[in-house]
Amino acid sequence: MIVVWALVGLSLSLAVELGLGRFAPGATQYVSVMTLPLVAYALRTSQRSSMVVGCASGLLQDYWLEPRLFGLNGLVKTFLGWALGGIGARFDLNNFWGRCAAGASVHLLDEGLQSLVRKMFGETVAPVGAASLALRAVAGGLLTAGVLFIVGKFGTSRRAPRQKPRRG
Amino acid sequence: MAAVSPARANALLLGVMSFGQLLLMASSVRGGMPATGVSATVGAVSRPAASAGRSVSGILLDVAHFFGDVHADDVANVKLRLEVTRLAGELSRTQELTQENERLRRLLGMHDDLAPKSIGASVVTARLGTQSRVILVDRGSADGVRPDMAVVAWGGAVGRVVSVESGFARVRLLSDPNSGASGVVARSRAEGMIVGRGGEPMEMIYVPKYADVAVGDRVVTSGLDGVFPRGFGLGRVSVVGEPVGASKSIRLEPEVDDRSIEDVLILLEPTGTRLLETDEPEPRP
Repeated sequence: MIVVWALVGLSLSLAVELGLGRFAPGATQYVSVMTLPLVAYALRTSQRSSMVVGCASGLLQDYWLEPRLFGLNGLVKTFLGWALGGIGARFDLNNFWGRCAAGASVHLLDEGLQSLVRKMFGETVAPVGAASLALRAVAGGLLTAGVLFIVGKFGTSRRAPRQKPRRG
Repeated sequence: MAAVSPARANALLLGVMSFGQLLLMASSVRGGMPATGVSATVGAVSRPAASAGRSVSGILLDVAHFFGDVHADDVANVKLRLEVTRLAGELSRTQELTQENERLRRLLGMHDDLAPKSIGASVVTARLGTQSRVILVDRGSADGVRPDMAVVAWGGAVGRVVSVESGFARVRLLSDPNSGASGVVARSRAEGMIVGRGGEPMEMIYVPKYADVAVGDRVVTSGLDGVFPRGFGLGRVSVVGEPVGASKSIRLEPEVDDRSIEDVLILLEPTGTRLLETDEPEPRP
């Protein structure tokens, strides 16, 4: 069932991302709808599934909207899925402020890591203003919290009871 | 054999997936097979979702346009009546000018076939990020579109085709940080290179220190890059920077707003170089 929900979530996100690019192209500078399945899985399921969903959403984004480096968004979102999935396994972020913080930090890290990888592959990276970053964080956080609130109305949290991480 | 902890297994999986995707990126930079294969698979799997998204957004856009048009029609109707009267006078003047233009073109020995062959395309979607600015248009290899073709819109140059699939093409906009075009100031003919700055205004670099450039000057394509033909608008000078070394940089307000591009023309021939070759005298043996 988790795979079916992932496929539905990814398909919807892709459709909305492409639709947003047509309706309000300016908004794509501040929000990335393809990060939503990643955050949803990181906060509600396991670290591994959030990595896989992140990778899939990144590759979809690469295919449709990345002009040169196929795999760039896949790599960045796999890492973000791993990081957020790990944090989500230790702390309960599945509430309004947790979702806001997760959405905001994923949007910021997505931008930062993409710039880093682009630089690694010899691409020119444009400087990003503080105002633009702040707007991205706020928009990303609110979008994530809003969408996950709506998604939460239709389903229940699927995370297994939290276990203490093993040491050693 | 000791069992691997979930944290270590996930870290291992992260390493394997990251390595695989780094290989994909390296392969895509060189146009290699692995990236092409994976990309084709991802495209085939996601096409139904993308088509559904396009259809729904297309319907919504049409509905929005319809209601917008109904409201605008009443206002426009009055304006149009006045315009028709004015244009009737303009038309007779334009007909005269067209005839004169034809005579002059013949005199100058210009050929009609120098006009770039083009194909119209609609924008399917856009991504206007800071580090990557790209639009997707609904014409692809099946329509004769190839990488490196110039894309223009009403008002000026838009960008360059970077990759093509059978039914669509990805166009990197001029405002993308990795874009570049050769430009010239229309008034003073000072040349430079136009580079994108993401969401910020474009910049014209390598402009000679003593070049005559003023705020408000129009910058057009020079045709020297071999992608864009000469004369397409790029932008207007908004800031003239202080000279650094032998050159100065100039900020441009773009001629075409990336956020409002709906229809474009893809130029099917690299007419920039062809025009230059035609203009230059034949070398003597």
